[in-house]
Amino acid sequence: MDNTTHFGFKDVATKDKQGMVRGVFDSVASKYDLMNDVLSFGAHRLWKRYTIASSNVKTGDKVLDIAGGTGDLAIEFRKKVGDSGQVVLSDINAAMLGEGRKNLTNKGIFGVDFVQLNAQYLPFEDNTFDCVSIAFGLRNVTDKDQALREMRRILKPGGCLLILEFSTTDSEFLKKFYDFYSFNIMPKLGEIIADDKDSYQYLAESIRKHPDQETLKDMVLEAGFGFCEYHNLSGGIVALHKGIKA
Amino acid sequence: MQHFVLEQALNFLIQNGDVNLEPLDQKIIRFSLKDLPLEVDFVCTNNRIFVVNDINNVSDVDIKLTANVFFALFKGEDLTDLLKQDKIIIHGDVKTAQLLVDMLQAVDIDVEETLSQYTGDIVAHEIGKITGEIKKITQESSNPLEALKDSVSNFLINPSVPKTYKNNKH
Repeated sequence: MDNTTHFGFKDVATKDKQGMVRGVFDSVASKYDLMNDVLSFGAHRLWKRYTIASSNVKTGDKVLDIAGGTGDLAIEFRKKVGDSGQVVLSDINAAMLGEGRKNLTNKGIFGVDFVQLNAQYLPFEDNTFDCVSIAFGLRNVTDKDQALREMRRILKPGGCLLILEFSTTDSEFLKKFYDFYSFNIMPKLGEIIADDKDSYQYLAESIRKHPDQETLKDMVLEAGFGFCEYHNLSGGIVALHKGIKA
Repeated sequence: MQHFVLEQALNFLIQNGDVNLEPLDQKIIRFSLKDLPLEVDFVCTNNRIFVVNDINNVSDVDIKLTANVFFALFKGEDLTDLLKQDKIIIHGDVKTAQLLVDMLQAVDIDVEETLSQYTGDIVAHEIGKITGEIKKITQESSNPLEALKDSVSNFLINPSVPKTYKNNKH
């Protein structure tokens, strides 16, 4: 692996990226849900609902939500798997995981396990989960290929990987609007609401550095998944990649 | 979106219709409707079906049929008879195709019971009545789609008059 990687538009030492990403999420954890609602005009809830519906998760399944943060996917997965299933909510960032624990407790959702982990080194046995999800988290992972191989390893044969992530739109009009919004409005809103302009500048930059739909699909297949398809949401601003372990 | 809806429908049938998918585990069935723009692969695995559309997949069996024949299979028509009549074209493992047909025919859903969890008993009962009517129309006809279309047309041209209560005193 190269000694440098990107952190937004900056090149940084690979060993430093994890700590820098942690800094971003430590800073935004307490306002994370509010900012998601404001920045996406609430659309993130629809994207996540579509992800849950696409999962085909059923009663008794085991689900791992990586970079699960405040737990909105985990809550819905918990309802689907019931008491006979298992949901693990994980995040590399202790502050985000703490917000998730608080959120679930406030909503009266119990029976979810919390694990602080790095997506590149998943502390689970091979063939453990029916579904692994990662929503708006993969672009922050330093070695994405390694993380995808790990996700495949812990999925059961026939298990399903769901990657919900910002992506690339083909529409020229949407692209122009989105660029203006991301680089001019988003950091300003971050400054006003969360008192943190830099983290939301990083958000906009990290989205541009993330692989496009076809590249990510190839990466999923390269990691050993038997099938991978993606569905564009909101004109390709967001895409849901679905991989199946053969 | 078409794949999403199809996948949701199939898995809903499997989960609620008491269907065992294990005999089809690890099978890929390429399924196409000749009269509709639909060509998909059903990937049967982990006791559920994923609907994908990747021409690079190697399927165990290719099934080509029309929408009417698809309905006929649901109604319990014999696969061998349909094959003899050239109404359905199968390339590959016929046993896998037969397993899929058996699975579709084994689906047994109590629509009212399932719906009532979401809508309450009254709405579920009304929808159940409509579903029953549709089922009756499609089962009595050799061309279910046309029969359904005719019934809807009849209804739109000449809707049934709701029952009124007469006042016998006047």
